[in-house]
Amino acid sequence: MLKKMISVSLASILAVGLAACSSEENSQASTNGSPDYPERGLTIVAPSGAGGGWDLTARSIAKTMNNSGLIEEPIMVENKPGGGGAVYMAEYATKEVDNDYMLMVKSPPILINNSKAEGNSPYGYKDTTPLAQLTRDYGAIVVRADSEFQTLTDVLDAVKADPTAVTFAGGSAPGSMDHLVGILPAFEYGIDPKSVKYVSYDGGGEAVAALLGDNADVIATDASTIGEYMKSGDVRVLAVSAPERLEGELSEIPTFKEEGIDTEFTIWRGIFGPKNMTDSAYKYWSEKLEEMSASEEWQQELEQNGWQSEYKNGEDFEKYLQNQEELIVELLTALDMQK
Amino acid sequence: MSTLQFLMDGFSIAFQWQNILFAFVGVLIGTAVGVLPGIGPMSGVALLIPVTATITSGMPTEAAAASSIILLAGVYYGAMYGGSTTSILLNTPGESSSVVTTLDGYQMARQGRAGAALSIAAIGSFAAGIVSLIGLVLLAEPLSNIALQFGPAEYFSLMLLGLAAVSGLAGKSMTKALMMTVFGLMLGTIGIDAVSGIARFTYDLPILYSGLEFLTIAVGLFALGEVFKTILEREHEDGTIAKIGRILPTKQDLKDSAKPIMRGSLLGFFIGVLPGAGATLASFFSYIAEKKFSKTPEKFGTGAIAGVAGPESANNAASGGAMIPLLTLGIPGSGTTAILMGALIMYNIQPGPLLFDDHPEVAWGLIASMFVGNLMLLILNMPLVKVFAKIIETPKKYLLPIIIAISFFGVYAVQYTTFDLFLLLACGILGYLLVKNDFPVAPLVLALVLGPMIENNLRRALTISNGDFMIFFTKPLSLILLIAAAAWLLIPLLLKFKGRTIVLNEED
Repeated sequence: MLKKMISVSLASILAVGLAACSSEENSQASTNGSPDYPERGLTIVAPSGAGGGWDLTARSIAKTMNNSGLIEEPIMVENKPGGGGAVYMAEYATKEVDNDYMLMVKSPPILINNSKAEGNSPYGYKDTTPLAQLTRDYGAIVVRADSEFQTLTDVLDAVKADPTAVTFAGGSAPGSMDHLVGILPAFEYGIDPKSVKYVSYDGGGEAVAALLGDNADVIATDASTIGEYMKSGDVRVLAVSAPERLEGELSEIPTFKEEGIDTEFTIWRGIFGPKNMTDSAYKYWSEKLEEMSASEEWQQELEQNGWQSEYKNGEDFEKYLQNQEELIVELLTALDMQK
Repeated sequence: MSTLQFLMDGFSIAFQWQNILFAFVGVLIGTAVGVLPGIGPMSGVALLIPVTATITSGMPTEAAAASSIILLAGVYYGAMYGGSTTSILLNTPGESSSVVTTLDGYQMARQGRAGAALSIAAIGSFAAGIVSLIGLVLLAEPLSNIALQFGPAEYFSLMLLGLAAVSGLAGKSMTKALMMTVFGLMLGTIGIDAVSGIARFTYDLPILYSGLEFLTIAVGLFALGEVFKTILEREHEDGTIAKIGRILPTKQDLKDSAKPIMRGSLLGFFIGVLPGAGATLASFFSYIAEKKFSKTPEKFGTGAIAGVAGPESANNAASGGAMIPLLTLGIPGSGTTAILMGALIMYNIQPGPLLFDDHPEVAWGLIASMFVGNLMLLILNMPLVKVFAKIIETPKKYLLPIIIAISFFGVYAVQYTTFDLFLLLACGILGYLLVKNDFPVAPLVLALVLGPMIENNLRRALTISNGDFMIFFTKPLSLILLIAAAAWLLIPLLLKFKGRTIVLNEED
């Protein structure tokens, strides 16, 4: 037992030692580290399985902050899937409410879950401290490469003819974002949104697997995560929910509007702190995030992921969220899914 | 270039001195991670990502990515080797994939055969590692397609087969085993429902929103239950401690283990390929299968070496199999592979259909290094067996507090809540009472794993089919699995009906 303990502690000392070396190296590069916060490793939670938009955003933030030396403490990314993000939201708004070291990446679901009737999360953005909006992304309607559907209107006509014949899938629960992106065109097309058949998976990665494996006909997912599968020729992207055409890989893909569906949906992503975040931590992150959003590393990161930059600081972000919440309540009311 | 050529290139990368070092550090830390109940492979890998990022920062991106992933993957499969140690010695599963190893492993240790159990676990893990790697090299492409074919209907039928096979975990009474299964399924429904997002049985307690943690319940039922039993029944007065016999397995042990290791390796590999199924399920399936295949199923639960060899091979093979959807599809099948994927993405290497074309040196370097790493693990683990096996000789008055401490520390390190500590304690008491009254706890634990998967996939499948249950029969893979499940249940009954005498687990 003793020997075991020793070997185990040796291993952990090794790990800690390596980590210590790394932070020392980095602190030389960084000149404005805060003396009090952070005193240890930080965690950014992606409240979904790996491979989806939240996950990639959280990892990009962690990577940019650590690689550029902006934050020398190691930033870990944790995946906390379930309930379309509602599971972790409850935990975040209760258990982590004072934990300055726990941050969370979120997007419109923080508003949607709080406003919808079914699967309501009693906690919304008001139970957090919005720190910054960092990116915007758009929804994409995707089918298999060998699908009979060539355009978005093909899909919608098929759904209109027989809603039970077309299976939609997405990485989050009904009434949440993937679902909204998926049924929004249908709703605008005059289809009863409740009749659209939708299957929820744990995260965008599983939804793509369902599409590739012929267990779904159409998926709604983030435009930024689908590029790789399009390049490899496995899927066809029918339309994106952007107001105008995207740049990069998806530049050939028409928007909803081009397809005659007069609607758009923006998936913003932002980072949140706990509700009772201390002033020093809030100030620390506000500065670091502003600095990061202007950095070259972050621009590269955005480009690689096909995201569009949209930075708002904590104050502006909070105002924006207020507006967004009103919009979403309106949308859910139209869909008869409001709280 | 042919596969062989690619593999050779991979070996030339794996044999670079720094990569050998990286693999060694990875498997060493992995072994420690596996032995410690608190740190699972997932948190172990996640903790090391920033460390590897720093060490490799001076290297070109592709080489850095290859080196990092070699180290991190080493932690992952190293943990599968180490996970068995506390299961066998202390009845305390280090990882959820080693829960089933406690059933026979701990009994072997009590009989003084800890050395044999530990060595066979290491040998089985090694064989499984090699088998799954060969599978990875040869079958990655076709298997990734089969993995995609596994939709909700197929998953449901597979889980149903698992549930049908739960009889294999029964002790003296089938009825009691079924009661425990249902109890486990019920516990699995606690939390926010992933299909509709509605909270169930949470009584507005946020702590219950994410459900009950599997590892907490397993450690409570197995480890603490055993501690309470020992204390209350005082069955181990000083002097009755089993002395360690030989460290190495006997020829008979090896003979008894050869087939379970092969079967466990294949089974684990194929289950590992399926995203979401994972090593825990693989180890349970292997145990159940071994009991079914065994000529002496009554020996299972009393220290059958096949009950250690099979599951320990299966969980290691599953970690190799899980690399297939990760590397070829970019779809992580488990929490740990999700983190490995994140590490690759950090280096701007996107796992997915293009990985083997765009970054062959990373993909093949990793595969080749896994051969090297597995060999290192075998060499590393065999001498450790001697050290670890001594633990069993520790007098109970010291050993019991250590087990309690490890259990509490481990659970808290995973969950960070005092709620889980109370849950652990409650499960310990429950475990003692259940075992005392001949209620087997393994079916409960298996049902807790299977329950949410069965339910979610059932509902997904029925949504796809518009509520038509025929979806489970019209899909060929699903149908085969259902037939297997039916056969598993019915054949013994039919044979019994015909008056044949066979060994069954029914009440005598």
